[in-house]
Amino acid sequence: MPPPPFFISPDFGIELAYTILILLFCFLVYFKTREIYELTKHKGIQYFRYAFLFFGLAYASRLFLYIMIAGNIFTFEPFAHPRPILPVSNLVMAYFSTIAILYLTYSTIWKKISIEHFLTLSNIIAIFVAVVAFVSMSPIIVSLTQLLLLAVTIIISIKAYKKDKKRTHMRALYFLIAIFWLISLFVIDEPRKFLPLEVKVTLQIISIIVFLAIYYRVTKWVK
Amino acid sequence: MGQITRKRDRLEVIHDFLNIIQENRNSIKRTPLLRKTNLSSQSFEEYFDELLAKDFIREIRDNKGKRHITLTDKGFRFLGKYKMIHGFIDEFEL
Repeated sequence: MPPPPFFISPDFGIELAYTILILLFCFLVYFKTREIYELTKHKGIQYFRYAFLFFGLAYASRLFLYIMIAGNIFTFEPFAHPRPILPVSNLVMAYFSTIAILYLTYSTIWKKISIEHFLTLSNIIAIFVAVVAFVSMSPIIVSLTQLLLLAVTIIISIKAYKKDKKRTHMRALYFLIAIFWLISLFVIDEPRKFLPLEVKVTLQIISIIVFLAIYYRVTKWVK
Repeated sequence: MGQITRKRDRLEVIHDFLNIIQENRNSIKRTPLLRKTNLSSQSFEEYFDELLAKDFIREIRDNKGKRHITLTDKGFRFLGKYKMIHGFIDEFEL
C-alpha cells in the first residue's frame, strides 16, 4: 500500500499545528508589547520583542524547509526535486533563528554587559551561520553551530549574573525555548530517524507549554 | 514629592521627572524642576530634551510670558502605566 500523500499525512498535520501555535504566541508577544516599547524605548524590551518576532519567522521558515525535505521523503511529487530551493530556505531559517537566540540572550544581559554595536555584531554572526547553512545545506550543522553559540551565550549570562540574587526563572524558560528550537532543527532532516514520533510530539507539546507560559506572563502585565 | 536622593535607573528618572510635574498641578518652572529632580544640569538638559522630543512634556508660556513645563497626554499615559512597565521589566529580567 503506498504511503498517504504528504499533505494529509499525520506528520504534516502535527508540524503545521505546532508551527501555527508557536507563530501565534511569538507574534502575540511581539504585538502585545508594542505599546510599552513605544512609551519607554527600553533596550531590553526592544531585544525581547525582536527575539520573539525572529523566532516566529524562524519557525515559519522551518515549516517551509520541512515541507521541502519531508515532502520529498514522503513522495510528495511537486517537491520531488527541492535541491535548488533548499540552500536558500536553510539560509533564511538559520539567519532568523540565530538573530532570535542572540537577541533573547542580550535582552537579559545588556545592562550588565554593554556590547558596542551589538546590532552589527549579531548580524555578522547570524550571516556567518546562514552562510554555513547555505553551504552545508544541512539543518543539523546549523543546529550544532547554534548549540555552540548558545553555550557561549549561557556562559556569558551566568558570569554576568553570578552575584545577582534576584531570580525569576525567566532565563530558564529562555534557555528551554532555544533548546527546543535546536531539537526541532535536529530532527527536521529525516523525520523519525532521530526521534520516534511520540517523543517528538511530546517535545513539541512541552515547547508549546513554554511559549504559552511566556505569553501568559506577558498578558499578566500587558492587558 | 520630596527630594530624590538614591541612584536611579533611566526609567525611574523619567518617572520621577514626570511625577514631579504632575504633583505640581501639571505646571512647574524649569528651575524648581531641576532642583526637585536632583539631577546635574547636564543630565537634566539631556532628559528634558529627550522628554520634549518624545512628546512626554511641553513648554507653554503664561500671560506674563513665563515658561512652564506641563505633561502631555503621552506623559500622563506613561505615568499611568509606569507600575506595569516596571513590573514587566522585572518579571522578564530585561
